[in-house]
Amino acid sequence: MSKNKKAEEPFIPDFDAVDTFLTPWATQAETAWNGQIVTMGILVSLACGLIGSFIVVRKLALMGDAISHGILPGLALAFIIMQSRALFPMFFGACLAGLLCSLCIEWLQKKSILKPDAALGLTFTTFFAFGVLLISIYGGNAHIDPECLLYGEIGLIPLAENLSIAGIQLGSRPLVSMLVVTILVIISIIVFYKQLLVTSFDYTLAKTLGLPVTLIHYGLMLLLALTIVSAFEAVGVILVISMLIFPSVTASFFFTRMPAILVSSLPLSFVYSIGGFFLARWLDCSIAGAMVLVASLCFGLGWGFGPKGGLAWQLFHRLKHPHPSIIERTNQYPIKE
Amino acid sequence: MAWAILSLFTFPLHGEQISAPSDSLLERGYRFLTLSDESVRMVLLGTVLMGLSCGIMGSLIVTRRLSLFGDTLSHAVLPGVAVGFLWSHSKDSWAILAGATLAGFLGVALISLLKKTSRIRQDSALGLVLSGFYALGICMLTRIQKMEFGNQSGIDKYLFGQVVGLSSTDLWTMAFSFLLILALSIFLYKEMLVAGFDSEYARSIGLPVDFLQYLLWLLLAFAVITSLQIVGVVLVSALLVIPAATATLITDRMRPILIWSGLLGCMAAATGAFVSFLGSQLPTGPIIVLVSASFFLSVLFFHHRNGLLFKWFSSRNRNHRIALENTLKAVYQELESIDFQKESVSVGQLAKRRRASMPQAHREVSALVEKQYATLHADQSDSPASPKPVLISLTPKGWGTACRIVRNHRLWELYLTNEARYAADHVHDDAEKIEHVLGEETVRRIERILSNPRKDPHGKLIPSQRDIDRGFIS
Amino acid sequence: MNPSDSKPLEIHDLTVAYQRKPVLYGVDLEVSEGTLTGIIGPNGAGKSTLIKTIMGMVPSNGGWVKIFGKSAKKSYARVGYVPQRESVDWDFPVSVLDVVLMGRYGHVGWLKRVGKKDRIIAGECLEKVNMLPFADRQIGKLSGGQQQRVFLARALAQESDLYLMDEPLVGVDAVTEKAIIELLRELKNQGKTLLVVHHDLSTAKAYFDQLILLNMRLIASGEVEKTFTRDLLQKTYGGRLTIFTEVADQSAGVREYEKETESS
Repeated sequence: MSKNKKAEEPFIPDFDAVDTFLTPWATQAETAWNGQIVTMGILVSLACGLIGSFIVVRKLALMGDAISHGILPGLALAFIIMQSRALFPMFFGACLAGLLCSLCIEWLQKKSILKPDAALGLTFTTFFAFGVLLISIYGGNAHIDPECLLYGEIGLIPLAENLSIAGIQLGSRPLVSMLVVTILVIISIIVFYKQLLVTSFDYTLAKTLGLPVTLIHYGLMLLLALTIVSAFEAVGVILVISMLIFPSVTASFFFTRMPAILVSSLPLSFVYSIGGFFLARWLDCSIAGAMVLVASLCFGLGWGFGPKGGLAWQLFHRLKHPHPSIIERTNQYPIKE
Repeated sequence: MAWAILSLFTFPLHGEQISAPSDSLLERGYRFLTLSDESVRMVLLGTVLMGLSCGIMGSLIVTRRLSLFGDTLSHAVLPGVAVGFLWSHSKDSWAILAGATLAGFLGVALISLLKKTSRIRQDSALGLVLSGFYALGICMLTRIQKMEFGNQSGIDKYLFGQVVGLSSTDLWTMAFSFLLILALSIFLYKEMLVAGFDSEYARSIGLPVDFLQYLLWLLLAFAVITSLQIVGVVLVSALLVIPAATATLITDRMRPILIWSGLLGCMAAATGAFVSFLGSQLPTGPIIVLVSASFFLSVLFFHHRNGLLFKWFSSRNRNHRIALENTLKAVYQELESIDFQKESVSVGQLAKRRRASMPQAHREVSALVEKQYATLHADQSDSPASPKPVLISLTPKGWGTACRIVRNHRLWELYLTNEARYAADHVHDDAEKIEHVLGEETVRRIERILSNPRKDPHGKLIPSQRDIDRGFIS
Repeated sequence: MNPSDSKPLEIHDLTVAYQRKPVLYGVDLEVSEGTLTGIIGPNGAGKSTLIKTIMGMVPSNGGWVKIFGKSAKKSYARVGYVPQRESVDWDFPVSVLDVVLMGRYGHVGWLKRVGKKDRIIAGECLEKVNMLPFADRQIGKLSGGQQQRVFLARALAQESDLYLMDEPLVGVDAVTEKAIIELLRELKNQGKTLLVVHHDLSTAKAYFDQLILLNMRLIASGEVEKTFTRDLLQKTYGGRLTIFTEVADQSAGVREYEKETESS
């Protein structure tokens, strides 16, 4: 891609290992700065990956997309009314909007003859349009950078104001709120693992066992909305969906059971964040975008070579067993005499 | 003069606010409607073409339950836009169209490949491609921004849409897409219909199903890409889905859906362009979407047959009718219990038979009186001291209806017990519901099957048609 | 076991309508303890709907259902439900053992972990259906008969008193079918009550001791010798009662009635 005689910089910059890998940690100030960025990235991927695992198996991946767009009017209203990026109103407004969006979608799916996908597509785009309108009209007052909305600016996280409770400086606000949400997600999943598993897999069994299935569903949606709101400042509204989906689908090429898939969000989050950080340094592009590129790469590796269903293994298996014999096929049904 | 159009800027944060602020609403409106500005004409043409193209393509994908593919496609084309940009070093529409179409195709191909070769569910696959390609696009575009020839408006234009700077090349590409889409929907209508409905069958009769599918994706990509410039990445999918969804509420046949979608898309686009022109800070894209959504909501609630409001009212009406008829029947039964010796019943008796409270019984009677099924009068025989019981007498109209209802009910009971072997205690409840919906023809058939019976399973008389015609009571 | 005077299942005048078209109409049923009952009827007769309504998955429009004398909701813990195979997501990342363990969740309690005892019971249930060697396999990697047996094992692990099964023998090979019927008979002999929607008329008489003939309404129910007669089967499958279904259609369309009232 170098049809760029006029450009001063080539499209793909030269790779300088030192500059990419070592310079970020050169001084203490820089380490603190970049460290916060990387930590934020890890937290975002971890929280989204964990809750995303359940969202994916419940076939709500696009609902996650819808909610992440649906929060926009809530965010806009919160910023406009409060004239600042105060933590609580932002969370409150955005979660409310997100939940409202998912409620509207479910209402349309039930009460009208619209198909589920049409109801989804219609609702979240309308919410989003409303949000964009609000921002345009009250734009100056809203302190929102539209690009940040769409793909985040994780690089600016350390710049955000510090959160302090009882006089103790905790650190950059988005970072702290993300940490709290991540811990909340981890605890919820550990405590309610069985409930989440059963309601995701078999709705009727869950009811037979006496579970409050609707409550669990909305609890999950609320947790999802919280995660999305705390993550959007880092990765933007559109890339959140990738952080929700990529970890568990990548892991599914390596593991076949839910606990293993959940746990793999942790190593993957490190890879995404650190890899994305370095990639963005090299290419000098959006860090969030780079994180997703790294995630796609990992996904590609899993899809191609993962032991559980990866393409290479499928090919290998087919080459090794081109014609399964009758005996092999019937051996699937062992009978005990 | 072209600056007037800048009031249609989607993101004033990034553009100059240029429309003459002194222009009043009326003046702006006039300027728009008379199409006096060339830029007004261009914008109107652009948005209308967009509304038509997306509306028509939208009807094809919504009816095939592919609504979210539009969304995925609009995000997936982004790297293609970047590539096209790099190739031509300018915002040349044709290069971008080509690059974006290629990216779109890759995205769609990837989704089918994922579904075929792995256990990944469709919605996850869509999300993966959507965000993965989008991220690639973002990286490339943010990269391009840093290069010399990249400028601010490069990214913004595609992320949020920008009606300003709609060049004539842009309009040509939009016209080109629209004509292709129109051609498809006219000349290949029945092929697309069959292939969309039952691809197995279509294949078996020799239709090139795969080719048609690729054609669909291609034209969808064109519609999406040409609309990206105006409304931005996220809202394109709104233009695809909302008009078509509205059309499915209006009609259930494919051709009308297609036409309605195009029409609604076009009207929303024109109205949106007009409204955002009037306002000085209103972005076009979101306004068009919101106008579209308001069309949808109006149809959802107010459509004369399928609208929710209509359904609520008609079921309320039906319930009223049924309540009325049950009251009539109760009066009849009450009179029957005294062998029609008297001509009226008291409200108290009615209340007891209907197992209702007195106020409720009074309400039911008022409803009867209102519809001229009965009249109320005081009981003459009582002493003035005690409260006068109110008596109900049925009018001839009331009698006719009551007899008809009772007849249907008892015929049905008889039918259920004899032919259908129902337990006796079920029969009342079923018949309660069924009698209100039995049509005359069905009733006559039942009569014939049961050989014109005179008595029901409980031994009560079944009023025959002649009885009713003759004014039964005499 | 719970000594109880109330029958495992009692249904009175159950009516279920979908968009005003009746699917089940005034159904009266009683199922006694320790019986193996089959539900048969033509397609669309409402057999699956009956099971689903008992399980509360489908709302009813009239009548009631009592399980062991109490309302359905209160007695769910004593019911084991084996769904139709199509309704399961076979790509879900759970192993065979995970699925069977889910059956134990009711006994484990909500904030506790699954214990050793539960794993042993799950293992025994898998053994009963000859699926123990597959305990660690992801459920998507099984044949039709194996999948069915996993769900049966889960129902066993629930240790329920009343079992409702929706077409458990569809798409299952002959050997598995025999094994499943053997298992059901064994459960019956232990005093459990089993209600099974069955798809195959030809084997109904051999497999069950009680039969329910259903075609929107209850045609007959009772001992298999008394119910599996030509007359009753013809009534179930023959569709003699055409007016009935016509009226059912009418009540869904309400067209004739509207036309009439327009003129009055």
